[in-house]
Amino acid sequence: MIAIEDVVVRFGAAEALRGVSLEIGAGELCALVGPSGSGKTTLLRLINRLVAPYRGVVRVRGEDVARLDPAKLRQSIGYAMQSVGLFPHRSVAENIGIVPRLRGWDRPRIAARTAELMALLHLDPELASRLPHALSGGQAQRVGIARALAADPDILLMDEPFGAVDPITRRDLRAELRRVHRATGKTIVLVTHDPEEALELGTKLVVLRAGRVVTVGAPAALVAPGADAFARELLGGKQPGLQRLALLPATIALQAGPAPNGAPELPAEASLADALSLMAESKCTVLAFAGGSLHADAVLRQA
Amino acid sequence: MRFTVALPAVLALAALLLPLPWLMVAPNRLLPGVPLPALDALGWQAASTGLLILAALPPRMPAPVAACAALAAALLLTAATGMAAEHALEGRSAAARAGFGIGFWLALAGSLALCLARGALLGTVGRVALMLGGAAATALLFASGILNALSLVVEYQARAAAVNAAVVQHLLLAGAALLLALLLAVPLAWASFRLPRLAVPTGAAFAAVQVVPGIALFALLIPLLAALLAAFPALRELGLAAIGPAPAVIATTAYLTLPLFRSVLGGLAAANPHAVAAARAMGMGETRVTWEVRIPLALPVFIGGLRVALVQAIGLMTLGGLVGAGGLGAVVFEGLAQFASDLMLLGALPIVALALVADTVVGAAERRT
Repeated sequence: MIAIEDVVVRFGAAEALRGVSLEIGAGELCALVGPSGSGKTTLLRLINRLVAPYRGVVRVRGEDVARLDPAKLRQSIGYAMQSVGLFPHRSVAENIGIVPRLRGWDRPRIAARTAELMALLHLDPELASRLPHALSGGQAQRVGIARALAADPDILLMDEPFGAVDPITRRDLRAELRRVHRATGKTIVLVTHDPEEALELGTKLVVLRAGRVVTVGAPAALVAPGADAFARELLGGKQPGLQRLALLPATIALQAGPAPNGAPELPAEASLADALSLMAESKCTVLAFAGGSLHADAVLRQA
Repeated sequence: MRFTVALPAVLALAALLLPLPWLMVAPNRLLPGVPLPALDALGWQAASTGLLILAALPPRMPAPVAACAALAAALLLTAATGMAAEHALEGRSAAARAGFGIGFWLALAGSLALCLARGALLGTVGRVALMLGGAAATALLFASGILNALSLVVEYQARAAAVNAAVVQHLLLAGAALLLALLLAVPLAWASFRLPRLAVPTGAAFAAVQVVPGIALFALLIPLLAALLAAFPALRELGLAAIGPAPAVIATTAYLTLPLFRSVLGGLAAANPHAVAAARAMGMGETRVTWEVRIPLALPVFIGGLRVALVQAIGLMTLGGLVGAGGLGAVVFEGLAQFASDLMLLGALPIVALALVADTVVGAAERRT
């Protein structure tokens, strides 16, 4: 869906990206993660041509973006950012309808789409006529995401979309994003400096450092023993082993034999970290799980 | 009780009760008159005016009622003074005049300020209704002839055509200056926004004009225009003259450019940068960003500047009377030359009224955006 081929980006004398190549497939939720100044936002902005490469090619849906009309390209790609940037003089409904209007949709179609998106993002229909200053931070972020989805783009770019909200709202919004991704199957590229967010949301993680891609992979693979040390420390912190177990479903360590009587029961959708936590709490090394049993040594073998 | 309510009420009541000159009775329009205090001039009507003012005071009194009571007090004391003037002039020569004294002006200002203070809580509709009601009642008083004995009215009736023409001329001159200033300041502000290098020198040039005293600039333009016309006589064919509307409009324009330039530039620069960034990221071109984001967000700041410029235009154009442009300034300066205070007021009061009306109307528009 998106291909970045050996791209260098320069701002004046400074190099923001130093030869980056990356493929993002359709339907992936790709999280770009790295410390400040590692070039993740620049990499994101290459995709809708807000930044032009100094060298290299950016292809979206197989086409070199340098050959496309930037306005049309941007209208075909959703964009949400940390500061949201809602138009303060337009109502919530008008804000959501901006890109459909730019693309020439008729009014009834825009109204129907706006209502549909407000429902998808759990926004009260009464908010439609409000101005952005009357929204809470979390509501504004939801409107920003609804606006990015308005013209039903197949690609959604998100630049730290949950950076400016409180931790509880952020948790809700992450769950919302996972749900929207599952429900719509869109290709999403997400920039974040929060490793927890990247691990939780991404189906594919790209770790950047000083303008280069350090490593690319599935979340659990990047915190596994033997993975790149920088990525492992950035994502796993001091407990990469526990982080990895948190990402793996408990089903992979399931054994057929029944658990002994009185063994605590583990819920079906639990992760291996949940299993370990329950073992620590109950002081039992065997748990009852999904009709079978879960043994401590089997859990640890997966780490 | 709020200070803005208490102070004007005390002022108005003091003017009614203290032995200040309320009505000045003079043998003719130029000689100073003999003062008559409020209680002597108005009699029992001073008491009813005072009661209306007291009625506007209690905080529990609904704001519309209180504002109307204060307005009624202002109208009543004007009407009562008109009747008192008629009474005072009975049996005197036709040249004798009875004019407003300082007491009347204080009481009028106090009751109008009280009306404004109590009316401040009303919505736009309420305030406009109050203003229109006041204007209609004043017109009615004037038409009824009850004020005809007052010196100011006698003076107006003697030169009604000239004063009315001066009001129209004043508005035309101020409007022309404002239009010219807009044509100059708005494109330059736009250019300075696009090319920030231009902003400092252009702003400094407009600001430099403000340093020159008004009278000096108006006077300076006469020899400058005369020299220009001597060098290019063809300009005379276009209707340009060294004396008359040209120097007045040019000088006023020069003063208006700064508030307009600053407000347009400030408004454009103040547009929420995140909204602009989002607009670009959603695929708006520069023209669209300007029309859909920058201009709507700049509008409130711009209207604020327009309000300042409009009020300044009406006020500054008074000096046009000095350079032969006509307008209400000419009436004021004629009054000054003759030491005829009623004639000065005849020029000055419409200027104040026009400025207040312009300020209120544009102010209402400012709140709406």
